[in-house]
Amino acid sequence: MKRRGRGIACMWYPIGFTVDANASAATVKVNEDGTATVLTGTVETGQGSLTVLGQIAAEALGIATDDVHVVSADTDTTPMDTGAIASRTTYVTGNAIWLAAEAAKAILFETAAPMLGVKVSQLEARDRKIQVKSFPQRNVSIGEVAHRSQVVLGQPAIGSASWNPPTVAMDPETGQGKPFATYVYATQIAEVDVDDETGEVEILRIAAAHDCGTAINPMLVEGQVEGGISMGVGMALQEEMLFDANGRHINPNLTNYIMPTSLDMPEIAVDIVQGYDPTGPFGAKGVGEPTAVPTAAAILNAIHDAVGVRVTSLPATAEKVLTAIKAKRAAEVKQIPA
Amino acid sequence: MTDVTMIVNGQVRGASVPPETTLLQLLRDNFNLTGAKLGCDVGDCGACTVIVDGQAVNSCLMLAGQAEGRQILTIEGLASREWLHPIQTAFENSGALQCGFCGPGVLLSAKALLDENLNPSTQEIRDALSGNLCRCTGYTKMIEAVQDAARLLREESRTQLTHARTEATAP
Repeated sequence: MKRRGRGIACMWYPIGFTVDANASAATVKVNEDGTATVLTGTVETGQGSLTVLGQIAAEALGIATDDVHVVSADTDTTPMDTGAIASRTTYVTGNAIWLAAEAAKAILFETAAPMLGVKVSQLEARDRKIQVKSFPQRNVSIGEVAHRSQVVLGQPAIGSASWNPPTVAMDPETGQGKPFATYVYATQIAEVDVDDETGEVEILRIAAAHDCGTAINPMLVEGQVEGGISMGVGMALQEEMLFDANGRHINPNLTNYIMPTSLDMPEIAVDIVQGYDPTGPFGAKGVGEPTAVPTAAAILNAIHDAVGVRVTSLPATAEKVLTAIKAKRAAEVKQIPA
Repeated sequence: MTDVTMIVNGQVRGASVPPETTLLQLLRDNFNLTGAKLGCDVGDCGACTVIVDGQAVNSCLMLAGQAEGRQILTIEGLASREWLHPIQTAFENSGALQCGFCGPGVLLSAKALLDENLNPSTQEIRDALSGNLCRCTGYTKMIEAVQDAARLLREESRTQLTHARTEATAP
């Protein structure tokens, strides 16, 4: 008989390690046509980080994301970056790009202030223009300002910056410190059907609520969460590296290392919990790795809710679940006095 | 050596290859069509999916000789430089691909489905994509994108029908 259960799991995850240097550097150059070029050492692996970094530069400069050209990951020519690791790109690289864009913008403001007859502090960059705060009709286009900075004042609008989440040494006596700059939080709930005759588990739905500070690109955040859940589903029920007595990997291919297909994936509801982290770019933190953290725990809790057994090693294959169900039944039978 | 001739993306293409050459090797190495990817080479991952006479197949499991005289569609034949196929538009709009390595195969599996069924259920889409492994996306946005593409294609075919009727009734 199929038995339904629900399970919940929560997690926190650290963003921006501080036990060691963790720097990102970036250069932002504003061009005479009002576009901008960003140089960053980080690498895009499909998660959409270059889109997000472009959005950060665009927001800082008051231009459109389409106006930003991101040049990345050529270590000969781009500034140093610790890497697309540890869910740090939006947070650490994003801060570096934000600071670099602000530095380029400061040059533009210096040029624009006398053009508009106001002080630098009265300017803002918006809609591809540099304009007087509260008097947007008094404006000059960013391209024109960039051109003037370059050819009249001899001060091209280029900003370079680096950001390193403040390194905090660990106290050698107490072992205490502040290992990370910030943290993200998430809760996932899984609903499963467990067949108590075969031990087979079917995941019906997963609801995932994730905090990532400001979600700079909600569609990409959803994509990260859904992808992380698929990895969590594999971890919970399917994926296992098997070794023989000599330590040889016996399932080194996709025929018998079983990862989730479109048929194994449940319905997913993603809830992005909007937050604001004052240390992140426009309040953003990170989202990559945390998405896979609570999934397996939620699924195994749901199995417990459905059939009352705790599976304590992953993956919870049908064999393991059935063995646990049988052991539970046997234990229950024993309790009846003869 | 075996001489093979087939129609690839609407063009007659031929080559002389060793008989053990797979269709995937022929496409990639002889025809320089590198959109179909070599993933597992044993039919597990679907990264090499192409459409042969309307059916999505793993081109790593088909010999080049078996494709003799048949119609092959690869990802290079789906879009032109100016025009994306509605399935590709839908995938782009919903962010349905991340690293993209599985993309050509997924798109062609989706096309083979939508060529037969313009109104697939979620389960039918899951079935059609079940031979294409994806490590990044969890398939969620892909399934949504195929539904969006089906809607786009239904609208397109309705418009074409209306055009055809208008032309037919015109004096």
